[in-house]
Amino acid sequence: MLKTIFAFETKRWFTNPSFYIYFAAFFIIGFLVMASALGYFDAFTVTSTSNTYYNSPIAINSLINGFSQLLNFIIPTVIGATVYRDFKYNTHSVLYSYPFSKIDYLFGKFLSGMVITIIISLSIGLAFLLASALPFANQDLMGPFRLWAFVQSYVLFVIPNIFFIGAIVFLLVTLTRNVYIGFIFILILLVLQIVIGQLTENMDDKFIAALLEPYGQEALSYVTKYWSVEEQNVNDIPFDKAIVLNRIIWTGIGILAFLTTYFTFSFSQSPLSLSRKKAPERVIKNNFQSVLKVNLPKVAFDYSFGQNLKTAFNLAVIEFKSIVKNWIFISIIGVLVLFVIVSGYTLGESILGTKTYPVTWRILDSISGQFVFFSQILIFLFSGVLLQQSSTHRMNLLVDSTPIPNWALLFSKFLALLGMSLILMLAGILSGILVQAYYGYYNFELGVYFKNMLGLRTVNFIILIILALFVQSLLRNYLLGFLTLIVVMMIPLGLRKIGVELPIFHFNSSPGFDYSDMNGFGSIRGFLIYKFYWLLFCGLLYGLTLLFWRRGIFSGIKDRFKTAFSRFKAPIALLMFASLLAFLGLGYAIYYQIAIANPFITDKEQEQRQIRYEKDYKRFEENAQPRITDVRVNVNLFPKERNYDATAYYVMVNKSDKKIDSIFMNYQRNFRAIIFNKENTLVKNDTALRFNIYKLGRPLLPGDSLQVEIKVANQRNTWLEDRSPVLENGTFINNAELFPNFGYQDSREVVDNDVRKKYGLKDRERMPDATDMKARQNTYISNNADWINFEATVSTSEDQIAIAPGYLQKEWTENGRKYFMYKMDKPILNFYAFNSARYDVRKEKYKQVNLEIYYQKGHEYNLNRMMTSLKNSLDYFTENFSPYQHKQVRILEFPKTGGGFAQSFPNTIPFSEAVGFIAQVDEDKPNSVDYPYAITSHELAHQWWAHQVIGANVKGATLMSESLSEYSSLRVLEQRYGKFQMRKFLKDALDKYLLGRAAEWKTENPLMYNENQQYIHYNKGSLVLYTMSDFLGEKNFNNVLKGYIAEVAFQNPPYTTSIEFVNHIRKATPDSLQYLIKDMFETITLYNNRVSKTSSKKLPNGKYEVEIEFNVAKYRTNNKGKRVYEDEPGKSISTGTDKKAVKSLPLNDYVEIGIFGEKTKKGNHEYDNELYLKHYKINKINNKVKVIVDQKPIEAGVDPYNKLIDTDSNDNRKSI
Amino acid sequence: MLLSIQNLSKTYKNGVKALDNVNLEIGTGMFGLLGPNGAGKSSLMRTIATLQKPDSGHIKFGEIDVLNDQLSLRKVLGYLPQEFGVYPNFSAEDLLDYFAQLKGISSKTDRKKLIQEVLEITNLWDVRKKSVSGYSGGMKQRFGIAQLLLNNPQLIIVDEPTAGLDPAERHRFLNVLREIGANHTVIFSTHIVDDVRELCHEIGILNGGSILFRGTPTEGESALQGKIWMRIIERSDVDDYMKNHKVLSSNYNPDNTLNIRVFSDVLPNESFVPATPNLEDVYFVALKNDEK
Repeated sequence: MLKTIFAFETKRWFTNPSFYIYFAAFFIIGFLVMASALGYFDAFTVTSTSNTYYNSPIAINSLINGFSQLLNFIIPTVIGATVYRDFKYNTHSVLYSYPFSKIDYLFGKFLSGMVITIIISLSIGLAFLLASALPFANQDLMGPFRLWAFVQSYVLFVIPNIFFIGAIVFLLVTLTRNVYIGFIFILILLVLQIVIGQLTENMDDKFIAALLEPYGQEALSYVTKYWSVEEQNVNDIPFDKAIVLNRIIWTGIGILAFLTTYFTFSFSQSPLSLSRKKAPERVIKNNFQSVLKVNLPKVAFDYSFGQNLKTAFNLAVIEFKSIVKNWIFISIIGVLVLFVIVSGYTLGESILGTKTYPVTWRILDSISGQFVFFSQILIFLFSGVLLQQSSTHRMNLLVDSTPIPNWALLFSKFLALLGMSLILMLAGILSGILVQAYYGYYNFELGVYFKNMLGLRTVNFIILIILALFVQSLLRNYLLGFLTLIVVMMIPLGLRKIGVELPIFHFNSSPGFDYSDMNGFGSIRGFLIYKFYWLLFCGLLYGLTLLFWRRGIFSGIKDRFKTAFSRFKAPIALLMFASLLAFLGLGYAIYYQIAIANPFITDKEQEQRQIRYEKDYKRFEENAQPRITDVRVNVNLFPKERNYDATAYYVMVNKSDKKIDSIFMNYQRNFRAIIFNKENTLVKNDTALRFNIYKLGRPLLPGDSLQVEIKVANQRNTWLEDRSPVLENGTFINNAELFPNFGYQDSREVVDNDVRKKYGLKDRERMPDATDMKARQNTYISNNADWINFEATVSTSEDQIAIAPGYLQKEWTENGRKYFMYKMDKPILNFYAFNSARYDVRKEKYKQVNLEIYYQKGHEYNLNRMMTSLKNSLDYFTENFSPYQHKQVRILEFPKTGGGFAQSFPNTIPFSEAVGFIAQVDEDKPNSVDYPYAITSHELAHQWWAHQVIGANVKGATLMSESLSEYSSLRVLEQRYGKFQMRKFLKDALDKYLLGRAAEWKTENPLMYNENQQYIHYNKGSLVLYTMSDFLGEKNFNNVLKGYIAEVAFQNPPYTTSIEFVNHIRKATPDSLQYLIKDMFETITLYNNRVSKTSSKKLPNGKYEVEIEFNVAKYRTNNKGKRVYEDEPGKSISTGTDKKAVKSLPLNDYVEIGIFGEKTKKGNHEYDNELYLKHYKINKINNKVKVIVDQKPIEAGVDPYNKLIDTDSNDNRKSI
Repeated sequence: MLLSIQNLSKTYKNGVKALDNVNLEIGTGMFGLLGPNGAGKSSLMRTIATLQKPDSGHIKFGEIDVLNDQLSLRKVLGYLPQEFGVYPNFSAEDLLDYFAQLKGISSKTDRKKLIQEVLEITNLWDVRKKSVSGYSGGMKQRFGIAQLLLNNPQLIIVDEPTAGLDPAERHRFLNVLREIGANHTVIFSTHIVDDVRELCHEIGILNGGSILFRGTPTEGESALQGKIWMRIIERSDVDDYMKNHKVLSSNYNPDNTLNIRVFSDVLPNESFVPATPNLEDVYFVALKNDEK
């Protein structure tokens, strides 16, 4: 019987068009996505390149599983509804009298649903296969073809997921006889993933998260997230414990769900209902008397527009109620509110484990994404539900024969959906406020909440609602409509892929909006204009929806079109014509603004221009240029009007030994004029590349100087957009943004070798070699200057303070504007910025240095912390490195819309409002770092490491700026807080380094040859320098730095390199530790240390003897991450010869062994209780040591503080 | 008011000719549309009710050009489809209020008054707070009538409303219809001859999309005067009679013999006796004639 039921069900699907539609839809989308990744459309747009293969097992798996998320939405109908369908069409009463067993029936039905879903899911794999097999694919983006990868992905993930989701949905739908419930489950799964991600984000060991996350992707990522590029390209998906366990758990849950279905299902005919049964009532017929007279009361009928409008509102209320009473809606709201609470719990912890105050924008940032996402999902879904509502309940003919006009019906649904999204937004606001109140933060900025959620985002919803109603009204099946809408939303992405980049062609495109406490929402004019543009388009859609409105019964597409044509009359036609006209008009106006008044440069053209720059002008690379020695700048900022103009007066000197006859200038859109004090002619004016060549009348002789005056001003703001970096409050502009630079700039070249190859250019690296003497003539900050004398006058509006590097000389008001004149007393790097805002100021004087913080009122939380950091850092740096070259330090807050970073200019540190000003530091909490303190210290350290010692523009330069600043701030942090904040910091650094190398797009370099790679110079750098100083001793190491500074500070070309720096360290390093320099600085070396067994016994003297067995192993990798276990002589060690044997480079390494006792408690926090920590010299892989400690040991570890770079830092400690 | 249908034709995508050049004029009062299942009754009624477009033809109701001015017709139309459902968890009262709004009754008190009246007419007053989706078949049909009455319709179309009702329900239902039909144009379709006999002063017989008969029941019956014959036969003879005579109907007697009625201009043979024509004969004769 099972066979019969299965065959019948399956055959039914094969004759059902929706099966083919689903299959085709997934196939087509899958194909297009893969095709675009594989460079099919490179002819239209930029070249597709990648360091990792698009068809590596892990990439294939991630794509297939990504698509499977979409596939889940069809599970409720395909698997869930198989039994339900028998009820819906009333076949159950007949069917259930047939002689088959429950298991035949249920299993046959379920299995057929599963098989159909799996077949549909195969379309994705097939699409990928086809896309990679066709000759249009760029072979450079692909590795060898491996069928096994597809098999693995399906067998390990896709099919088990379909099974367990299917089983649960089958259970829910069968028992409740409500397909919605299945849908809710799919949506809840979506949220669940996010919630699990949030909750476990800050966990040290994500093993639990790996087991909990239902799709198995977290488990996979748990195992593979640190895979290097090479490993990503060649490795198969591993059968790791986490993955296998995860799969067992979730498949088990699936089986459990199926068993539950089996045991609770009966062929009886009433569905499971959660509501209480009503008391039974005896029904008696009582209708035998007759009506002999019908006399209806006279009532007034009103068919006017106004009345219809009123009716539309009344109907909307009814429809709206039907939504908010719907379980999907209720569950989603519930889960979202839960999500807000969870995100309140971890608010901001992504930065080094420290929370932020729940300021309104922070709350909105963390929740609005989810609320918007689910509002969209619900709009897409309920638009269909509402439109199909009357026919679902077979009431359509009754409704359709009433005199209510179509537009009123449509409008009522629009209103109901709008009401729904408003309710969602209000729920978001309310729960946000509750979270704020819960954490004792009472500054509810309702204006910000409302403007964001009820204003700007709601405009967006209106557009989506109209689109959704249009699409759903064309289709009969709201699920199909839902999927169609998701595809429709992806169209702009596809358009971009084929080179259609103008936003006027991308449905619902607009500039984004962002909020900052300093600058509010900024200018949202562009946003509103674009949204208005799309609203006009929606007018057209609204008209079309009315034309094709389903009323009565259509006998086919032809009939529908005929009806549509017949409806194309005055009001609708007028609306459509008016909308179309306005849409085209505004569209053209925008087009004129973005593509004609200013040429629109596509990504492809941009790529070609870059190539042409190199091809045309590289020949001038060797031409010496005069170097800037003196800078005087006048900057006028107009915050209200968002304009600026500026004039720079340069003195430039020919420092070379050759005559200079031409000046090469790269400029930007803001360029207005340049005046040389020597006769010259403009011989080349390349406006496309913005590259000019001026020929000097008489060449500039060595040692001669040239005076230059440069005028710049922002492009005028237009009705559509402001084209200036000046903000109403919180401007932050640096000199590179403002002024032209001179000479051929190799930074403008294309760096991606795949792209270079396409255009016939030779490979290049990101930076020159450290031995390149020509490159060493420049710092990595500027190739136009060495050290400059600097002064600046900045003007701004009367209510603001404007700041530039230097000491304030004069301050005055003129014509209602404030003027500030600053001057530097010493030469500085050619690196400066201008800030202006309505600042509050806190000033202190500490050991002859003026400490000043310019901040936004309301952001006082961490000012003391920053001040203390400045003082402690000044002390540490002056004592250990060299004297501070300035007499002031100023921290200037700037809006988070400008970025979430801080940057150190000479004695001036712009500092984003997002990183530090609103941090809520819990000083005692382990696993969290006082980052306002650390960042302040880091930026101040740059006054030494960048503004005293500046590396040449070669590989490794940032080792002496970023890495050393990280090291310096770590030491200051450690001095204040002790070791416990180190552990979090270092673990975070290790994590970011390993993740960073996994995402490397070119090559991973050793630390001392890094090419301005953040994960290397910040994360690996801090770890390496801290560990090195730990081995050498803090004092010794700082003495190395002291000696190095003394040698190279404020030097002139050739500038110092990492080779020189590392040589300083080398000299101070004993022979036994020289291996560290090779491992940590010169090569990419990683450990794989692990505790395998621990035990302890109590000794008669009350002490404890601990025995630890552990592995130490290390390997090197090449710049793509391929592992090498042999050293240069080709030696290697190993624990055996079989497959499971552990291999390692030869060892002669010092590794720390630590024993920890019962955690010490302080308040709610627990700290490591270190009983024992000592370096051991290790020369083999398997080791065993015995240690005697005084207290009861709880945990033992090898390299327990993660000072070494270890691919898996979670197995370094083990409980005893 | 006069409903006039001219040359109405409709062929479905699957090739079925649902309406084949239908011409019909219907005045005030009850008009019964009789026809077997699949005769095109529902198609015709939906077309009149503006829910479906014909391929060709015209329909006028009074001055209203039904096919081109649907809204005007809907204002005076009461329609009860053959089969319908309702939103779940809506009480009769709320649902009627919903329909009353759709039908353009703006004043709340008007709606209330009217709803009370139609609930009483249809004897649903006691169950007005109960959810309609839980109603029995007869109650639901009565609800259908209640909603239909809300706009005081001039043209009422009810499509096989008595199917599945118990005798008492059916009786009551027909009474209500009759009462309404006194002043309005009511089109009432059924495949049950008895319904029509009790109710309608005019009938049309529809099959295969064509009107086979149009007139009053009496006209139909008198046209058959002297042409209907009956006799009792044995079961085993059925085939012979079927072959040789126009048998209109055959009914078993308790003793397993059969009563047959035959249509013939003259006495078929001596074993037959004349019978008084009834409406059923009219119906079957019309269908039989169409078979040729």
